[in-house]
Amino acid sequence: MKVIELKSLSKIYNPDTIPVRAINDVSLSVEEGEFTAIVGPSGCGKTTLLNMIGGLDARSEGSVEVGGVSIQDMSESQLTTFRLQHIGFVFQAYNLIPVLTAKENIEFIMVLQNMDAKTMQERSDDLLDRMGIKDQRDRRPSELSGGQQQRVAVARALASRPKFVLADEPTANLDSGSTEALLDIMAKLNEEENITFIFSTHDQRVIDRAKRVIMLEDGVIVSDEHR
Amino acid sequence: MILSLAWKNIWRSKRRSFVVMSAVAIGVWSIIFMVSFYNSMMGAISRNSLQHDYSHIQIHHEGYLSDPGLDFQVKNPSKLLEFHSQISDIKAVSGRLIVNGMVASPKTNLGIQVYAIDPADEAAVTNLPSFLIAGDYFTNIKRNPILLSQKLAEKLKVKVRSKVVITVQDLEVNIRAGAFRVSGIFHSKSPRINNGVVYLRHQDLSKLINSTDTSFNEFAYLLKDNESLIQTKKKMEMKTKNLVRTYREIAPEFDMIEEGSAISKQVITVIVMLALLFGIINTMLMAVLERTKEIGMLRAIGMFKRKIFLMIVLETFMISLVSAPVGLIAGFLTNVYFEKNGGMDLSQYAGALEQYGGDAIFYPEIAQSTYFFLMLVVIITALMGAIYPAIKAVNLKPLEAIRKV
Repeated sequence: MKVIELKSLSKIYNPDTIPVRAINDVSLSVEEGEFTAIVGPSGCGKTTLLNMIGGLDARSEGSVEVGGVSIQDMSESQLTTFRLQHIGFVFQAYNLIPVLTAKENIEFIMVLQNMDAKTMQERSDDLLDRMGIKDQRDRRPSELSGGQQQRVAVARALASRPKFVLADEPTANLDSGSTEALLDIMAKLNEEENITFIFSTHDQRVIDRAKRVIMLEDGVIVSDEHR
Repeated sequence: MILSLAWKNIWRSKRRSFVVMSAVAIGVWSIIFMVSFYNSMMGAISRNSLQHDYSHIQIHHEGYLSDPGLDFQVKNPSKLLEFHSQISDIKAVSGRLIVNGMVASPKTNLGIQVYAIDPADEAAVTNLPSFLIAGDYFTNIKRNPILLSQKLAEKLKVKVRSKVVITVQDLEVNIRAGAFRVSGIFHSKSPRINNGVVYLRHQDLSKLINSTDTSFNEFAYLLKDNESLIQTKKKMEMKTKNLVRTYREIAPEFDMIEEGSAISKQVITVIVMLALLFGIINTMLMAVLERTKEIGMLRAIGMFKRKIFLMIVLETFMISLVSAPVGLIAGFLTNVYFEKNGGMDLSQYAGALEQYGGDAIFYPEIAQSTYFFLMLVVIITALMGAIYPAIKAVNLKPLEAIRKV
């Protein structure tokens, strides 16, 4: 089943002055359960592509369909709801809420979804367990290592039961041990629970573990390798 | 959780929150202090004029206002003296015969108003004996005793037991003069009385001007409380054909003082609140700008604008909810301190304060409702202060906010 379908997608910055095509006529589809890495040199358009898939950035041309729903014409409010219900985000800099504990950070998105307290509790405990950070549940981000923080971020992304997880350079700030541990967790979730992951990365360790690697250069897909 | 998050956000920058909370608390405290001080000062001026000069209600002949003197004496004075027993709200009554005249000493003479009174009745209404600073209250001199204010005594260069001559017109417009001996020297809290009123016994003036013991041109009534003022006036009006006026009608400056005081208090409150408003806006704006990236992330993961708005407003609300009571309690305790320790002594400014009929010792006065009102004003101010930063926060574009370093 197609989770994402991009048709002739383009992103043009400064269209009225000096147009820059960050994404140029990209078409691709992502099936449920894929473990996809979007790779390429800095400035090739990886993050822009991810942002457009996530509804954080507007397309200039083409279309973006997520779960069969076209998102380009959604209002800001509809996009917010859409992101909340269907997309999990993992950011390079973790972007956890510093005043909340690991558990509260995970539960926060479920609060936004108005989930009941019991379900929320069970889900956060389960995610903390699966991420291997159950004993860190009451610690704030500043008390966690980078790897632990990114695991919390992944748990938060999964907490809302999204259709897929978009991860922008998730391992960029991690040491190799933390990177391997994080990739193990995500790969396991992908294999066992069929969760779709899409990464933007230029980390070879991530690329090595990906089941599909899409290479971007100057906003154009130059290769799309299924492994 | 948004409530909890808002609360935790306040304590991210403890120092900043402490500064803004202190500003709110000090602002609230200062308003309470100033309002209490102002109430005390204005209250004293009003009270002194009311209790020691005008009293709550006065009765005159209808013609007295256009021609104050002996021609327009109150009608049926004996009936007016009975009001005391008929209207329960009246605490005391003093009948006066007031004439303009001159007082002369061997050194000089001065124009004055002669108040011929019954000493006991006057004492009950104006508490005149309590203002004596020398001599006695009509008891040490058997024949023609007179009470002079300290100011007049100094001008006349007389002391207790000195002789002065009072010159007045009688009912037939003849000039009458009588020798009086200073029984006591007083210092009233009413500047008007200090500046030109002398007190004689009613019987002595009656004898001097050949009038009767029942000749009065003013009756002053002290009520048990101010609340029954209008009601009592109406009751009196039904019982007499004389002119009944409250102190507010006699001296419109009471209204002016109260209105002026109310305006001053409002101006002070508005100034302090404006300062707080900008302080809160500044603090919350800094808090929002510091969390640009985080707010962007919250928007990105699906937090609605209205919830972001609510979060910022809640933070500000909580700041005011914590700090305003601190200021209120501090203000309350300051007032309690001055109440229990003999008030705030401003004796060094006594001269200036007495010019306006004020007291040198201030006892803070504040209505309980002021505390609630202030709490409400602070909360409203804080919420107003939250609006701009909250709008700033909700207008952040998630993507641009996340990109901010």
